Amino acid sequence: MTYVSHLNALLKDVVGRSSRLVAYGQNVVTGSCLSGLTRGLIAGPDSLVFNTPNAENALVGLGFGVMLRGHSAIYFMKQQDFLLLGFDHLVNTWNVARGRENLGSFSVVTIVVDSGYEGPQSCLNNFSDFCSMAHLPGYAITNAHDAGEVIGRHLVAPGCRIIGVSQRLFSTEIIAPEGAVAMDPAGDVIRYAEGPDATIVAFNFSFPEAWSLHRLMGERGRRASLFSVPAVLPVRWDALLADVRRSGRLLVLDDGKSENRTSDRFLLEVLRLGVPVRIAEARRHFSPNDLAPNPDRLTADWESLIDAVFALDGLD
Amino acid sequence: MTRDPHIIAEEVLRVRIGQLLVNEILKRRELKVPVHLALGHEAIAVAVSEVMGPGDRLCLTHRNIHYNLARAQSFAPEVAELRLSPEGIGGGRLGSMNMANPGRGILYTSSILANDLCVATGVALGGRLEGGPAGATFVVTGDGAMEEGAFYETLELAKSLDLPVVVVVENNGWSLASRIHERRCPIAVEGLAAAFAVPFASLRGNDAIAYVHTLERLRARAIGERTPVIVEAHVSTLGDWRGEPTPAEPEGRVINYHHGAAATVTLGDVMLEGWPVIREDATDPVHVLTTRVDEKTLRAAAWRLLSAMTGEIA
Repeated sequence: MTYVSHLNALLKDVVGRSSRLVAYGQNVVTGSCLSGLTRGLIAGPDSLVFNTPNAENALVGLGFGVMLRGHSAIYFMKQQDFLLLGFDHLVNTWNVARGRENLGSFSVVTIVVDSGYEGPQSCLNNFSDFCSMAHLPGYAITNAHDAGEVIGRHLVAPGCRIIGVSQRLFSTEIIAPEGAVAMDPAGDVIRYAEGPDATIVAFNFSFPEAWSLHRLMGERGRRASLFSVPAVLPVRWDALLADVRRSGRLLVLDDGKSENRTSDRFLLEVLRLGVPVRIAEARRHFSPNDLAPNPDRLTADWESLIDAVFALDGLD
Repeated sequence: MTRDPHIIAEEVLRVRIGQLLVNEILKRRELKVPVHLALGHEAIAVAVSEVMGPGDRLCLTHRNIHYNLARAQSFAPEVAELRLSPEGIGGGRLGSMNMANPGRGILYTSSILANDLCVATGVALGGRLEGGPAGATFVVTGDGAMEEGAFYETLELAKSLDLPVVVVVENNGWSLASRIHERRCPIAVEGLAAAFAVPFASLRGNDAIAYVHTLERLRARAIGERTPVIVEAHVSTLGDWRGEPTPAEPEGRVINYHHGAAATVTLGDVMLEGWPVIREDATDPVHVLTTRVDEKTLRAAAWRLLSAMTGEIA
């Protein structure tokens, strides 16, 4: 099953059984339905699903209004950069609303244009900037299990959040990790494999690369822990730090282009551990040249990355 | 519905006296929060409050004291909120520019220009999901806030979704220290309403009783026809003064104090005259009451209200 088909099925299920919910956005029930993301959404009891005009600022405010009245709203957005037009509400309206009693739910589900070919004014893979300025929870969906957790826990729940999905992954086969899964109580940090030799942590939409890296490491006889961090603003790092402390080797992947990355905050916590940790990273470094249309893949010499954390062992 | 003019008049007096009392507190510099008084705006606030039904909601701006006072059932929690006290209407967490009172229908208040307009569409849409008796969502904005793109977006969205939103544009001619002609071209609100096929009414004269009748009719249209409506209420923010004469303005520039105390308005002075009129013309909603209600009755009510409200916050 493709990534977008899997998400569509989960969304249809939640929307269809939620009462007093409005699900809306530009082209959500016509045309390609956001490339299939919202195709076939059916409103539940006392609920509405509808197309809207192009009025992003008002549409974000609309969602907050529904939430303030105690009901649920989901705003589907074709490109996350459109959300820049609604930033006043994400910051100012949320700052007033967040302390309220009897708050309904408001989720902005945005497609993060991380494929690069749209050009300098549409590609915006800076999810953590949105969440940081607004102190607003955000969740990046990269695999089948994460999708179930994020949509199941957060799509309709008191308060507001942004749920980001990756355009680059839309037509790819969705990764469905098998085996034991562990996560923190909030579901912010999810462990898909446990191994003594290294800790691999994927931020933003880099889980597919982390998944491949984990497999490559296995082929080289190394057993690593593999973590996904769907939360853009995780509160607790305990599980990750315990694993890093144990393994002493850390590989960090983050395809986000923010100057305020979640992985930066995590690395700071690792340094605060005060224990020797060999760190290798595959992350972005801004260049204006990258704004021209391009594949925009998170690339690295993955073999060298592994070498970097094991080099002094002399085992490989 | 038949409305008792005496009750409406008394409400106008209550909102005026409440502001005068807050003004005295401001002059003593006892508040840390910036209060935007609305002396002269009482008629529209009382009229909105008067016509609101149980299912109606109200969204406000940073200049909200007149609506909060009109909707409040007691004065003390309003003042306590301005003092950031836990006994305040918002527990001391909202202060002045975001003061709301959900229990009395004021669901949301924003200090950001035109922000509340967008939120009001969602409040109205949320009401549709409830399936109970239909209500309207009132949202207040100003001649400055309507310059924002959000005003246009809100009209478009509210009309597209058939939402019963009553948009009240308080036009006092000012945005901070700039008059309309000093900052922009004229905007014909009626023409803008026509572009969206939205009913429109202009309110002039500060007659709260007349305003109630007009708003009642517009509210019924909004609900019955499932449409937004626009009401442009022309108001004068009273308590301004003139600066030093200049060659360009020999009489001195009018200082619209925007927020803080109305230094030229003194409770003792106006009440010495017997009741709280600031300007004896049609720009003052309290003065206009004399065309509707016997002045002796108004004076008695004013003294009674002053005594009660002073006692509440003593």
